[in-house]
Amino acid sequence: MKNTVFFDTIPILATKDQVYRRLGFREAKTVVSARQAREIERYMQKAARLVSLKGAASTVAFRKEQDSRIVFSKKILFESRQLAMFLERCEGMLLFAATAGKEIMEAVKRSSKGKDVTEAVVLDAVASETVDAALDWIMGYFNRQLLRENRRLTRNRFSAGYGDFLLENQKKIYDILTLKRLGIAITPECILVPEKSVTAIAGIRGMTDERKKRTA
Amino acid sequence: MNVKKELLELIRRRIVVLDGAAGTLLQQLGLPQGMSPELWCMEHPEIIQSIHSGYQKAGADIVYTCTFGANRLKLKHYKARQVKKLNMNLSLLARKAAGEGAYVAGDIGPTGHFVKPFGSLAFEEAVDIYKEQVKGLLAGKADIFAIETMMDIQEARAALLAVKELTDAFVMVTMTFEKDGRTLNGTDPVSALITLQSLGADAVGCNCSTGPLAMRKIIASMKPYAKVPLVAKPNAGMPRLSGNKTSFEMGPGQFAACARRLVTAGANMIGGCCGTSPEHIKALKKTLQGRRPLPPERASVCALSSARKTVIIKKDGPLIVIGERINPTGKKELQRELLGNKMSLVKQMAKDQEGEGALALDVNVGVAGINEEKALKKAVEELSVATELPLCIDSSDSRSVEAALRAYPGRALINSISADKEKLKKLLPLARKYGAMFILLPLSGSSVPETARQRIKIIRAVFKQASAAGFTKYDFIIDALAMSIAYNPDAAKEALKTISWCRRQFRCNTVLGLSNISFGMPARKELNSAFLSLARSRGLTAAIANTARLKASYSKAAERVLMNRGKGALKKLTALATKSRSPAPQPAGKGLSPVQKISRAAIEGNKEDMGAYLKEALRAGVPALTIANESIIPAIKKVGDLFEKKEYFLPQLIASAETTKKALHYLEPFLKEQKGGRPKRAIVVLGTVKGDIHDIGKNIVSLMLKNHGFQVIDLGKDVSAEKIVNAAAQHRSSIVGLSALMTTTMIHMKDVIALARKRKLRVKFIVGGAAVTQQYAKSIGAAYGKDGVEAVRMARKLTEKKTS
Repeated sequence: MKNTVFFDTIPILATKDQVYRRLGFREAKTVVSARQAREIERYMQKAARLVSLKGAASTVAFRKEQDSRIVFSKKILFESRQLAMFLERCEGMLLFAATAGKEIMEAVKRSSKGKDVTEAVVLDAVASETVDAALDWIMGYFNRQLLRENRRLTRNRFSAGYGDFLLENQKKIYDILTLKRLGIAITPECILVPEKSVTAIAGIRGMTDERKKRTA
Repeated sequence: MNVKKELLELIRRRIVVLDGAAGTLLQQLGLPQGMSPELWCMEHPEIIQSIHSGYQKAGADIVYTCTFGANRLKLKHYKARQVKKLNMNLSLLARKAAGEGAYVAGDIGPTGHFVKPFGSLAFEEAVDIYKEQVKGLLAGKADIFAIETMMDIQEARAALLAVKELTDAFVMVTMTFEKDGRTLNGTDPVSALITLQSLGADAVGCNCSTGPLAMRKIIASMKPYAKVPLVAKPNAGMPRLSGNKTSFEMGPGQFAACARRLVTAGANMIGGCCGTSPEHIKALKKTLQGRRPLPPERASVCALSSARKTVIIKKDGPLIVIGERINPTGKKELQRELLGNKMSLVKQMAKDQEGEGALALDVNVGVAGINEEKALKKAVEELSVATELPLCIDSSDSRSVEAALRAYPGRALINSISADKEKLKKLLPLARKYGAMFILLPLSGSSVPETARQRIKIIRAVFKQASAAGFTKYDFIIDALAMSIAYNPDAAKEALKTISWCRRQFRCNTVLGLSNISFGMPARKELNSAFLSLARSRGLTAAIANTARLKASYSKAAERVLMNRGKGALKKLTALATKSRSPAPQPAGKGLSPVQKISRAAIEGNKEDMGAYLKEALRAGVPALTIANESIIPAIKKVGDLFEKKEYFLPQLIASAETTKKALHYLEPFLKEQKGGRPKRAIVVLGTVKGDIHDIGKNIVSLMLKNHGFQVIDLGKDVSAEKIVNAAAQHRSSIVGLSALMTTTMIHMKDVIALARKRKLRVKFIVGGAAVTQQYAKSIGAAYGKDGVEAVRMARKLTEKKTS
């Protein structure tokens, strides 16, 4: 898609709290010794060096047909009742993706094969949380622009594989966003490689300005 | 008087009032959602003109044209192509509406794409896109330019260069910052200011982002380093979203009252952004009447910046260490990489030096046969992303220097400009155009001036020319020339004299290529260290050095104590001394029996000390079986309990499992010697099902099962049902463990079980993974292992049942 915006560097990293929570840390229960905390911190620093966070996004104007068809440029783009419901009252949608890059996943692979599984789980958690944060970052970027147009993105996002929105749709999103450019590949089963790569959809809604209503 | 001079005079006398929002007003006046405001304004010129004249009548000194999104990329979305004409017409509308009462600022907004190295839009393409817009605005008689709402510093630079390369009109640049005080792309206010004012912005600041109160902090952080007026154009507070309705929290009175604080923070030009109206600007004008602006605090700033960091160079500040390693001279591997157009090693060197305490990085890619212009530009682009540190462009080729400076999203340091006529002629204008600092190298001709007196003469001559070109003493650092004492025994003395003169008489910052002093000498480390101390005592500001070696010889804390700088200095030094003198940390198990130590190390996941404890125990005559049964096995159980109670989280569980694995592996030969040994449990075949490549969970289960004595046949990931069932039959396994991360792949678990049943294999299944539930496991006739501990418990239960 010609209007795809690429983010070759997304300058964020998951926080320690986010990573700890993902790994099962419970505030008033889990006790971590100073030595263990140092070890985990070392792995998190390594993860920070290895993550290469990139993203892509594209806005798409669509219309709905028969409660389940999302039509774009006279073609059926997606067919899913649940996605159509998610996009209720939306005049457009944002297709977007983020990846933590190849390097960190190769390190996870090396470590998890018995070299240092502790390191692998920490790197894996940092990559997962960071990619999630990158999706929020991309939504923030578009929301800032949409605000000036009195529009905004839906709070939640939808992904291929949710409900009746089949995983095969990930291939369509992959092609529309030309994710190959970010170094992402897709398997015949529609799984993105490297592993910590995700796609998502958010709806674009118009906002009724309160002041406008008051004036009227 | 031209507009630029008039405006600067006005800014000197009073706060200049800018207009307020156009977008939110246009929406109130009928702009349909999703329509281009620019195209709609051309269809309804009376509406935008009423907004412009409304602001002018409210007291705005400057009104912005409605051309925020009138660039090629944004307009393409609406299938509009006549970019220049549209900008011209919209500017003329503003001109007509504002009349003589206000200046017209040609408004330039983001393209919606990130610029290289942060995005896919090529830098020159971005400059070209903005030039097209600027040409239209100039044709429409815009007086000045306002580049606004920028999130990407590189895009702001592209727009600024586009304006500067077409006109010398007054141009202001405002960025938009997030709650964390940085742009979405990670640039902090001071780095944005240093970069943009160096590149020639006549005013810099912030718009949109927040309300006036939060913007005060951003303006205040910029003020100490500003040599240009500061701009603040806040929203009417924060937007509040309730359901589908949005509103801004501040009315005109409150907005104006809060904006007063922007004046005390140092703003010189104030207006409004989203949610503001002519009423807000009227109230603002009234409030600001008679308030004296704070002029810019400096004529010049000695500072380098990257997209995410600023390094202020000052005489009493810490030594500015410029890492020297990115230089292929004598480094064959780096030469090979650069010739092969690869940058991994360059990036690794940058990261290493950053970790070793460098505050800036020298970048030299000069290898015989290389296209230096292309390679230096690429290195600069890649390093702008890989490191936060500002860069020092080290090249004698002016074309390469320009390519690098143009691509660099910060204020760089040129290494170096000497008295050589050609160099001065080519490099001084480049430093001027791109706002770079430079290292003044006191060399003239081919011979090195031996004495400080000769060097001073050259420094004065270069400064004279630099001064005429508009540079101040804050725009360069003088290389005091460290030459080897092996060839000239007075080399150190002359360099030190040069530093003293620069500090005391000329009042300018200095730099040294530190290690040159000891070239060809023995005890180089000691010589370099002593020379650095002497140079610092004479006032040396910066050193180009090997950070790995410097780290050992230079202590910032010691220097601060010696020079009596800062109250916390002694405390820091004491902490440092305590740390370096304290004996190696005592093993955690001091005072415990060997078996207790092993148990403790296993519970703690202390891999490092486990080997020593095992040796100690075996030497003390403790049988291996006793170690396994009384120390390691109970530890494994205890850690499982701690994990279940959430007192341990995953990394602790895994670290402990790896430690016990290491211990059991070490004990294995001893256990074999003993009668009975450790009982072997059943065989488990493990695999991640077909189509799924996520196998970290399966690897954890494998580790845990092995520690509990199971024999694990791990088939890896993306494994077909056929392969799993074949392995189960071949190894006569009691259990097959299947993992899958996703709902779309976990369905293949059912296929594996069906195939095993078809072949009549008497094997039990345990399934697990993020999407798998107890209910799903039951539905396909398998046991459920929600995590590693649970999987082990289930495996034991299933095999015990079988035995009974």
